[in-house]
Amino acid sequence: MKKEKLTSCLSMLAMASALIFFSSDAQAQHSAEFNAGYMVNIPAGAFRDQVNQAAFRGFTAGVAYPVNEQLSIGLQLAHNDYYQKYPRQQYTLDQGTTVSAVLTNSIQQLPVMAALTYSLYKKGVVLPYIGAGAGVNFISFDQYLGEFDNPQSAIKPVFQTDAGVLIPLSKYAGTAIRVGGSYQWAPFHQLGTASLNSWGLMASFRFRLR
Amino acid sequence: MNTFSKPLACIALCAGIFAAGCKKEPLNNLSNEETRIYVTQVDSSARFQGYKTFSIADSADIIEDNQFLGRQLGPYESGLIAQLSQSLQQRGYTLVPKASNPDLAVNVSEVSNTSTGLFSYSDYWDNYGLYYDPYYWGYPGYGYYPPTFIGSYSIESGGLEVDILDLKNAAANGNKLKLLWSGLVRGEDIFNPANAPAEAKALLEQSSYIKATN
Repeated sequence: MKKEKLTSCLSMLAMASALIFFSSDAQAQHSAEFNAGYMVNIPAGAFRDQVNQAAFRGFTAGVAYPVNEQLSIGLQLAHNDYYQKYPRQQYTLDQGTTVSAVLTNSIQQLPVMAALTYSLYKKGVVLPYIGAGAGVNFISFDQYLGEFDNPQSAIKPVFQTDAGVLIPLSKYAGTAIRVGGSYQWAPFHQLGTASLNSWGLMASFRFRLR
Repeated sequence: MNTFSKPLACIALCAGIFAAGCKKEPLNNLSNEETRIYVTQVDSSARFQGYKTFSIADSADIIEDNQFLGRQLGPYESGLIAQLSQSLQQRGYTLVPKASNPDLAVNVSEVSNTSTGLFSYSDYWDNYGLYYDPYYWGYPGYGYYPPTFIGSYSIESGGLEVDILDLKNAAANGNKLKLLWSGLVRGEDIFNPANAPAEAKALLEQSSYIKATN
């Protein structure tokens, strides 16, 4: 039984090695791709208790290396700035304390992720793709009571799935427009929230590096 | 490696530019009124229905870095004291001179600290209260119950503090003036005379339990 398992593992390892070998052969025909674009994020889940407005100050950028014609791996980062000001209201704290204040939440997220993108077709005018990423999220959360800041920061894990379409602009240069959506899981257990999850809408420009 | 080094540098540059420049700065989006916070703290054992009369300071204490610098009565202080007095009378308390043994004393202080950190009422009273206020209120030699209130925010500038002290039970409290309630206003443009009535009202409006009758 153990021998069968070992054989099976070795077979899978050999197959994986062969896949990487042939993929590497294909790599020679491709160079790295750089992408940069604009991003809008919409808070989801518990995050909406802190900010329920879309964030329009986002960007995404990354570099990817094609493993083959459909699969690429790379490093992707994004940045977005969430902001919401709540009208003055009273907050009851412990020990008989009441605070009346205008509350402002200002949150910045900078996820840096290893990303995997798979194009569903090799060729076409429009190429649908799916992707996933995992990495670390640099979070800055400033909660203001009036002008008084209660700053929190954290580095947390982050996960993302995304899907969209690539619209090639040139057959040979590798330039393309990428339009898609994403969902990001971003745990954060401070200032009364459990997560900073969000939906994302993105449009970026991709070009190939020589 | 060269293939990746340039794009990675581009990404790092983009990240730096966007992270620094694409933040909506909260402080730039607050009016002076919105910068202000009103913090009130009450002794959980205080029963305000047990008091009938009060006296209010005729001017404000000026305290800087925990040092008492003197008393001040300008347009701001006058407006504030008048509004506090009016609001407390509307709550059923009778204003009496401080020589007439009032049940409650209302103290007004303008506090400014140049240091940062948590606002600890204990620190404040330890440095200030032990030598001045008991004399003002006619209780020489009395001490204070050191309050345990601690503000959960940082302080970098001045603020207004209004305190209500228990004179009625000073002897029963072991010759100590007990702090029953404290109100704090912090933010921009606090000491503008035009804002004094609104500040006094705001502090008492969020303390509806301060009333002579149920």
